[in-house]
Amino acid sequence: MIWLTWRQHRKQALVTVIALAALAAVTVPTGVAMHRTFTDSGLAACLDKLGTSTLTSMDACVTLGQKFDNQYQGMTYVGILFVFLPLLVGMFFGAPLFAREFEHGTHRLIWTQGVTRLRWALVTFGLVGTFVTVLAVVYALGVSWWFAPLAAAGGGRLSYTAFDIQGIAPIGYSLFALALGIFAGTVCRKVLPAMGVTLAGYALVRILIETLARPRYLAPRTLSVPITSNQQFNTLSGDWIYSQGVINANGKLVVPNTTYTCGAPPGSAHASHGAASCGSNLVQQGLGPAPFKNWIQYQPADRFWAFQTIETVAFLALAALLLYLAVRRLRLIA
Amino acid sequence: MTGIALETGALGKRYGRTWALRGCTLHLPAGQIAGLVGPNGAGKSTLLHLAVGLLRPDEGKVRIFGQDPRTAVLTDIGFVAQETPLYRDFTATELITLGGKLNQRWDVELARSRLAQLGIPADRPVGKLSSGQRAQVALALALAKRPRLLLLDEPAAALDPLARREFLQTLMGAVGDTGATVLLSSHLMADLERVCDYLIVLQTGHVQLAGAVDDLLAEHRTLVGPRTASGALPGGAQVIRASHTDRQSTLLARIARPIENPAWAQHEVTLEDLVLAYLAAADTPTAPTCMGK
Repeated sequence: MIWLTWRQHRKQALVTVIALAALAAVTVPTGVAMHRTFTDSGLAACLDKLGTSTLTSMDACVTLGQKFDNQYQGMTYVGILFVFLPLLVGMFFGAPLFAREFEHGTHRLIWTQGVTRLRWALVTFGLVGTFVTVLAVVYALGVSWWFAPLAAAGGGRLSYTAFDIQGIAPIGYSLFALALGIFAGTVCRKVLPAMGVTLAGYALVRILIETLARPRYLAPRTLSVPITSNQQFNTLSGDWIYSQGVINANGKLVVPNTTYTCGAPPGSAHASHGAASCGSNLVQQGLGPAPFKNWIQYQPADRFWAFQTIETVAFLALAALLLYLAVRRLRLIA
Repeated sequence: MTGIALETGALGKRYGRTWALRGCTLHLPAGQIAGLVGPNGAGKSTLLHLAVGLLRPDEGKVRIFGQDPRTAVLTDIGFVAQETPLYRDFTATELITLGGKLNQRWDVELARSRLAQLGIPADRPVGKLSSGQRAQVALALALAKRPRLLLLDEPAAALDPLARREFLQTLMGAVGDTGATVLLSSHLMADLERVCDYLIVLQTGHVQLAGAVDDLLAEHRTLVGPRTASGALPGGAQVIRASHTDRQSTLLARIARPIENPAWAQHEVTLEDLVLAYLAAADTPTAPTCMGK
């Protein structure tokens, strides 16, 4: 059985390893360059000093962070490409795995030898699944390293894209994509339709989980701070900010998507007003009673691994379910 | 008589609401080379798939040497599926290795020497061989299991007449050596006439006729005589198919004993006449249903 699986998929495995090596040839030099700039520009040290607390009176790193972002903006888009790698696993490993057998009728050859189709399916999936897991681990480790400076200088590891290509979640995505492809193959029984179903299904599930489920994994925190305080929100804390704005004394959100910093030290990147006029301006605009506070609803950066674990377990559970359904469908096929 | 190789009892298989096979009762004695005949869609593949355990029956039972093919005996069945599917990028040698890995009983030498005899290159991907050669590779793989029952689903359908004759010859040769029971489906009567000594006629999911070819030929006659109503024959003869002109009737009948009525001229039937008569009869409402045995 092992020999058969290897003989059937060795070419594909070789191509994948070559593709991965080519990808490494691009990412390793750019990663090294990014890490070097990250350290040499003083951004790394600055961020170390800044810490990841949600409030800070320091603004120095913001300029360095923006400079870094400007230099490596293109890499963020490369990062988006990494989001699609697990999908390729589903389309090119998962979908054809069984569908090609049905399309060519070779399942009738294999299932009438001395091995049950359940054993055949489990060994095939076990070996391909192991290979995909190894690929996913290499991918996750590599991309986590490669993307770390971009995440630190930008929106943090919890932000979209950054979360999706780091940590352990890519392993969950890859195995889910594989199982989805296999299941689609047992439904469509033809390679191309199975690939199409995998593409659509994968995109749908990822988008639904990303937009509807993920923000609800844990209850978000809220924090508010007077607009006159010299402690303001740390934009480089890596927190995942759901929404922010200015609230009045009644707690009503009066200016969404903006924060005012009246007491911030000079050189701040934010708009600066005189501390006294700042609040009275808002009152004159009819926004309610002072004092005003800046308010955010957010997930703290240190919940990264909790979120990663929940997301990974969710996708592994979906993968297991799809695999179970695929095996059930195998019994109906002749 | 060495027992029953294939036995089905009221076997039925349904796809959605359509029964592909229903009420099928059959006993195929061991040692026979049986032809399974019927038009496309008659349920030939379904019956073979049920016999080899690829399908699960919706009703009734199927037994191979007394056992359920879905639980045991796969080692005893050799199967060549329709269009002789093989991994096209595998060489014949690799396919033989594959069979060895997946089967407990596997005769590597048998497979190799068969291919060598036929001059089939063992080191070329089978996708690059002719379809006749591919069918031979598939047959060699099925034979290497040393099966007691060999099931072939239209193995020769895609071959040209010459390759078909060659394939059937090698099949007969191999079966003669091993003594396996063979059930071979086809819609080409000429093929079956050449090789079969047992015949099963399947039509729209029912067994129309089953029996040893010699017995069937002995039991049936074409009778030509004065115009008569069907079924009004003496001596317990059963009319399978009747055609009439103004003056005379031509009947294909199953007769229990010779008819000694000089008004009727009797002719022996060919296998093809017989099969066509039963298939045509099945289209009429008075058709006999599953006859079996």
